[in-house]
Amino acid sequence: MKVLIVGTGISGLSAAVALASRGEDVIMISPFPSERAQSVMAAGGINAVDEESEDSFEAHIGDTLKGGRFIAGKEAVKGLCEAAPSVIRELEQMGTVFARDENGKIRRRAFGGQSFDRTCYSGTSTGKQIVTALRRELRRYESQGKAEIRLGTDFHSALIEDGRCYGILAYDERYASLAPIYADAVIIASGGQNALYGKTTGSTACDGYTAGRLFMQGAVLKNPEFVQFHPTTYVTPQKNMLISEAARGEGGRLFYVKDSKRVYFMEDLFGPKGNLMPRDVVSRSIFNTGEKVFLDVSFLGGKKIRERMLETYELCMKYGGLDITEEPIPVTPSVHFFMGGLAVDNGHMTNIDGLYAAGECASIYHGANRLGGNSMLAAFYGGKVAAGSIIEREEKREAPLFDGFIRDQEKAFNKILSSSGRKPVTDIRSKLAQAMKGSMGIIRNGKDLEDGINVLDGLIGQVREDEFDSSLLPYFTYSTEAIVVLGKAAMTAALARTESRGAHQRSEYKEEKDEFCAATLISYDGGRLSVSYDKEGRYEH
Amino acid sequence: MNIDVRIKRTDPVSGETQWQTFEYDALGKPSVAKILEEINLREQLTDKDGKAARRISWECSCLQGVCGACAMVIDGRPALACETFVDPSAQSEVSIEPLRKFHVVADLVVDRSVIDKTLLESEVYIKDYNESSPDEFAHRYQASKCLKCGLCLEVCPNWTGTGKFAGALFANDCYLVDSADSSTEIRDEFGKHFAAGCSKSLSCMKVCPMKIETIASIAKMNRRKKR
Repeated sequence: MKVLIVGTGISGLSAAVALASRGEDVIMISPFPSERAQSVMAAGGINAVDEESEDSFEAHIGDTLKGGRFIAGKEAVKGLCEAAPSVIRELEQMGTVFARDENGKIRRRAFGGQSFDRTCYSGTSTGKQIVTALRRELRRYESQGKAEIRLGTDFHSALIEDGRCYGILAYDERYASLAPIYADAVIIASGGQNALYGKTTGSTACDGYTAGRLFMQGAVLKNPEFVQFHPTTYVTPQKNMLISEAARGEGGRLFYVKDSKRVYFMEDLFGPKGNLMPRDVVSRSIFNTGEKVFLDVSFLGGKKIRERMLETYELCMKYGGLDITEEPIPVTPSVHFFMGGLAVDNGHMTNIDGLYAAGECASIYHGANRLGGNSMLAAFYGGKVAAGSIIEREEKREAPLFDGFIRDQEKAFNKILSSSGRKPVTDIRSKLAQAMKGSMGIIRNGKDLEDGINVLDGLIGQVREDEFDSSLLPYFTYSTEAIVVLGKAAMTAALARTESRGAHQRSEYKEEKDEFCAATLISYDGGRLSVSYDKEGRYEH
Repeated sequence: MNIDVRIKRTDPVSGETQWQTFEYDALGKPSVAKILEEINLREQLTDKDGKAARRISWECSCLQGVCGACAMVIDGRPALACETFVDPSAQSEVSIEPLRKFHVVADLVVDRSVIDKTLLESEVYIKDYNESSPDEFAHRYQASKCLKCGLCLEVCPNWTGTGKFAGALFANDCYLVDSADSSTEIRDEFGKHFAAGCSKSLSCMKVCPMKIETIASIAKMNRRKKR
């Protein structure tokens, strides 16, 4: 079989290695090589139960479900958590460098919302270490002719007929042209939806377009209203920089100053482990203080800080001249992760046959709030599960002709290339980000969401009708409408969920409600967005 | 405070090259990435002479110095745009050009695919995993942070992109394989594509954003080769 993978981060690489090692042919496409993927920015670690400790799979499963406020699939989460120790062994055998204790055993650190220390790590560049190992491992299959990476190639649209995906239409940056790539199955591994908010802690390359376009082509989205604000980011003129949860895992304490005294509010609210509550709780608590909040790690000492979180130390020094071994870090919650994305079943297939998704673009495992250390685990495991499902469920297929569809797309694409407009389409993206920040912050309300939807409707109209500067990479122009539509899906789902749960908090509906204890499903239906709730576990269960 | 931003432009279609200057009103000490981003966001892009200009092609992803996308030459020095800061009180102009040893695709975007091609041709992967010695942890950790940004190749007096010599990143990746592999095949590749070609200028180490001590990788590989 020939399998096409969109994206070269951890989930894409994991799927590629799993497929190629079992004899399937893999083509990966991406604008950038793996080294530029957001996965390299994942800092703190990857969760896996230490089987020789008191920790247990039940505890990891329980923590994950509770952290996600009970709307993730129990079976899916069970699979994830039980596979975690073997994921670590596999990564180790690919040469991933993990921190070890004096006996050579992989170290584990504490992370938020976890009942035991179970986050395996490597300084604060765990994602980078994993990507380096995985990319190198893929080379084994490239040299055997079983895997190929096509860079400078972007997703444009999917080739779908009668509910089955036969490949994609790709945009080749070098030749500024569209070309079909047919495949027996497609895995979307394109990352999160950062462009909805302009800049986040993550990569500017993860813009949500692929999920947005597939949504417009009939793929169902799940849980788009659940957007994780990481509690501790450091504001710089460049962007809000992530201060890894490892800083609190190693003992860092949050405080604000009142009457010249430090108030350790998380400890006051939740006890000695208060700083390590799940991220939604910590972000909300910081927001509710209304004060300037700081994170102190200086008492750990320079040696430990440089040994355990060198990259965090360097980041603060480089972008703010702040020496965290001496001074506390001013922190503010900022958008970090999207629990929502393409709805997939436990085998990672979307509602479209032959179309799979893994990593942050897929919505699975994390429910209403992801625990730190579970994202890289989900990315690697999800990629493997998608690969396994494809081998089990799919077969070689003859693709029908897509001539008419391709001609229509080329016509629209050529219009972008020949536009005489002068303003950049990125202006629409900036307005989208402004609307999202206004309506989809830590605390939402119905009025702001309705206003936000109206603004986005206006932007959708503008992006369809206006002409934009054609000297900007055409990708930006053809992608913007679907990204705005994705934002509208998030707002629509947020408006419909009249309760507060995990990362979705409504000022008018402060409590969780039993009737909403299920994942949100949303579909496009020719421009009309329809919301329902997956109470039967049709997708993740 | 105003600063002139001089950019070496290459037209992606005609391949024609010219320098073009943009005025920029800097707040504080912005990074070059921030400057490029803000110039591109202008409603109408015109250069200092008031002439309509193409949007600037450049690459970025992380904006915090850990992905290597924005490697370019700034004021004559190869560096990452997201961690190179401009001080308008100390300079009235900043010049920005693409890496010079790679094919220019458009403006500041270059084709660095030769890096992956070389690593693939030499089959730089672990053939038969063998757990590394704990003594290797610190250097393996550091070497694994290589961004494949190409800065080490840009400054290397011996790397041309067409010869056999594969440069510092190749040496580091060979070390990463050899220190976790019971097979010794990679040592021959290191010999063929690195050992004889390196004149130890060590300019690669000075420019590396990850501060990888390539000299340590070289020394470790040389010692291993003798075993």
